[in-house]
Amino acid sequence: MNLLGDLLGLGAGGALTYRAYEDIGAAGDTARQELTNLAGTMEDKLGFKPYGITSATGGQFNVSQGPDGQVSTSMQLSPQEQALYEQQLANAGMFFDQAAMPTAQREQEVYDRMRAAQSPEEERQRLALESRLYNQGRGGVRSAMFGGTPEQLAMAKAQAEQRDKSMLAAMQFAGQEQQRQAGLGQGMLASAYVPQAQLLAGLQPGMSAAEQARLNQAAAAQAYGETYTSGLDALLQSRMSQANLASSLGGGLMSGALAGLFS
Amino acid sequence: MAQEQKSINLVAPAFKGLNTEDAVLAQDPSFAEVANNAVIDRRGRLAARKGITNLTSIKTVLGSESVVGIHVFRDSSGNTKTFSVGNNKIMSGEGTLVDETPGAYTVSANDWRMVNFNDSIYFFQRAQEPLVYSNSSGAVQKMSAVAGAAGVTSAIYGNEVLAAYGRLWTADFTNDTSTVYWSDLLQGHVWTGGSSGSIDISEAWPNGFDTIVALAAHNDFLIIFGTQSILVYAGAEDPTTMTLSDTITGVGCVSRHTVQSTGSDLVFLSHSGLRSLGRTIQEKSAGITSLSKSVTSDIITLIDAETDGFDSAYFPEEKFYLILFRGQSRIYCFDTRGALQDGSWRATYWPDSPIKSIFAGDRIQGRMLVGFSEGIGEYGGYTDDGLAYRFRYRSPELSLGDTSQLKFIKKIRPTLVGSSGETIALRWSYDFGSSYGSSSFIPPTSGVSEFGVGEFNVAEFSAGQLAVRTSINANGSGSTLSVSLESDINGAELSIQEINMLLLTGRSL
Repeated sequence: MNLLGDLLGLGAGGALTYRAYEDIGAAGDTARQELTNLAGTMEDKLGFKPYGITSATGGQFNVSQGPDGQVSTSMQLSPQEQALYEQQLANAGMFFDQAAMPTAQREQEVYDRMRAAQSPEEERQRLALESRLYNQGRGGVRSAMFGGTPEQLAMAKAQAEQRDKSMLAAMQFAGQEQQRQAGLGQGMLASAYVPQAQLLAGLQPGMSAAEQARLNQAAAAQAYGETYTSGLDALLQSRMSQANLASSLGGGLMSGALAGLFS
Repeated sequence: MAQEQKSINLVAPAFKGLNTEDAVLAQDPSFAEVANNAVIDRRGRLAARKGITNLTSIKTVLGSESVVGIHVFRDSSGNTKTFSVGNNKIMSGEGTLVDETPGAYTVSANDWRMVNFNDSIYFFQRAQEPLVYSNSSGAVQKMSAVAGAAGVTSAIYGNEVLAAYGRLWTADFTNDTSTVYWSDLLQGHVWTGGSSGSIDISEAWPNGFDTIVALAAHNDFLIIFGTQSILVYAGAEDPTTMTLSDTITGVGCVSRHTVQSTGSDLVFLSHSGLRSLGRTIQEKSAGITSLSKSVTSDIITLIDAETDGFDSAYFPEEKFYLILFRGQSRIYCFDTRGALQDGSWRATYWPDSPIKSIFAGDRIQGRMLVGFSEGIGEYGGYTDDGLAYRFRYRSPELSLGDTSQLKFIKKIRPTLVGSSGETIALRWSYDFGSSYGSSSFIPPTSGVSEFGVGEFNVAEFSAGQLAVRTSINANGSGSTLSVSLESDINGAELSIQEINMLLLTGRSL
């Protein structure tokens, strides 16, 4: 009789042990499945949320995510800002074009205008000298030293110096004008980007608010995940405890049975 | 009843020279109606001019032509050379005329203007390249051949040249008679570069147009003579700044050869007679003075008829200015010792003169050289190269204060100084030559040196100038009268000291 009991005990112990083994495996599967579910939930909770910002002047900044998960941003100026932007860009282009032009023609134009202003007085002085020379009977003087009279040479030199000065002044003026045009182009270009810069400047507070929301969401997701995993840990712990109990019982039965058989 | 003869003394008759303008009206015996081959001598008497002492013995290069231009070259080293022109040649020398014309140089005329400048003598004539001689070169050469010559082109082939203010000035070109060119400083052969230059005065003429005839430097002015006007430029030391100081309208110059400086005046022959440009021009007053008022009409006639050019000389040693009408062989002599009340000079007349050119510009030698067919002569002696010449005097028509009364010349008693023993003809006429009488006499010759030898060239015990007094009986009558005297001059001087007349007056007409 004891043998039968021993055999029955051995069988029951084995069954219990096998049951504990299966339960431990089931607990692992459960843990894996639950964590997998948690990961999906956390992905949903921590995933990117598209958002947009609208400035006070009507400009818009949008952040979106495409189907492939790629995040893209877009800015849209208001119609007035867009018009200003385009106008200033065109102006800047015009000034840059002018600044890039060769200065020779402009120098000539400036020189011609300066000479036009100077010529009448020079002509008056020339006529006065001519009159004086003729009154002095010297209108026909030609000399190897001076060409004409010393006074004529002096006047010619003075006028030539004036022309030289005017030419240099025209060159300087044209160069300065070129620099001024380049500066104006730069100014126009800078002012063209002011609406965009202002829109970007307006993003800062909006982006701060979105980041705060994202941080809050992340914190909530983290708390959810931690809570969830804690519950899962407790479940797995109880399942492991149950399996360990069954295993211990099964092992005892089997040890008693085996001891009876061989005693 | 016998009437007392009146004694009329013509003391130093004609000491005011020739007057063909108003002597008839003035009836002034101090003028002469005729004063041929005469000068006013140093004592103020009318006297025979000197003759020509020939200096040339060999004149082969001159041929049968005459010397028509003379100039004495003198440099700072004391080198002297006499140049003359004639027969289309440039000649040098006085005793023997030597052809100095450069080789391969054709002279087409003899109207050269010669000036000394900076140790060279320059020869200028219209349309001919100027010639230059210096003692260092030793030969007359074309200006372009002078080392360093520049700008010697036909543009400066002027007819007139002036050396003044450290430059040569030239004007009167073939196609340009309104431009004056000046050379570089002290370089008469440099006409481009340096301080050379030119002035076109075509618009400075006061009448709008004129042509340059002559240039002169006077009283720190550059004088530009036109044919009808004169321009006076101040400050010609620097030609580029010289200014027109004055213009004179209506008086020009006939020929560049007539301009002579007397030191205080610039004398020139204008179409209206002999003129002087005095110092008063500096004060902007009337600087022009007529020097030939007493013979102006005659001079104008000679100017108009002259076809062979003029020459002139101021000879301070004899104190006269001569103007030669070459083609007509006539010379007017103007005494420069003093002016008459009207500012004119005393004039005498040298007709039929063999002189073809005159030069008295060499003050060092103090000679007046003359050019004639025999070469070069010197003003001196009392023959024209051995030939006698005729001295003539005629008083103006004299009424002696009353034209209504008849005058009967009874005697004429001339007092003459000097004589060569030639016959002296005396003539008297009445009423502008309607009746006349004449007589002649032969005065004794002037005394000679003792034994005919002059010790130390001084005629010791010479009688010197012989005073001749004679008395000629005259006849005829008239309300006006004139006296004339003439004689050949042949080796001795002759001057009229006085003519005394004894006359009776008759009824009134």
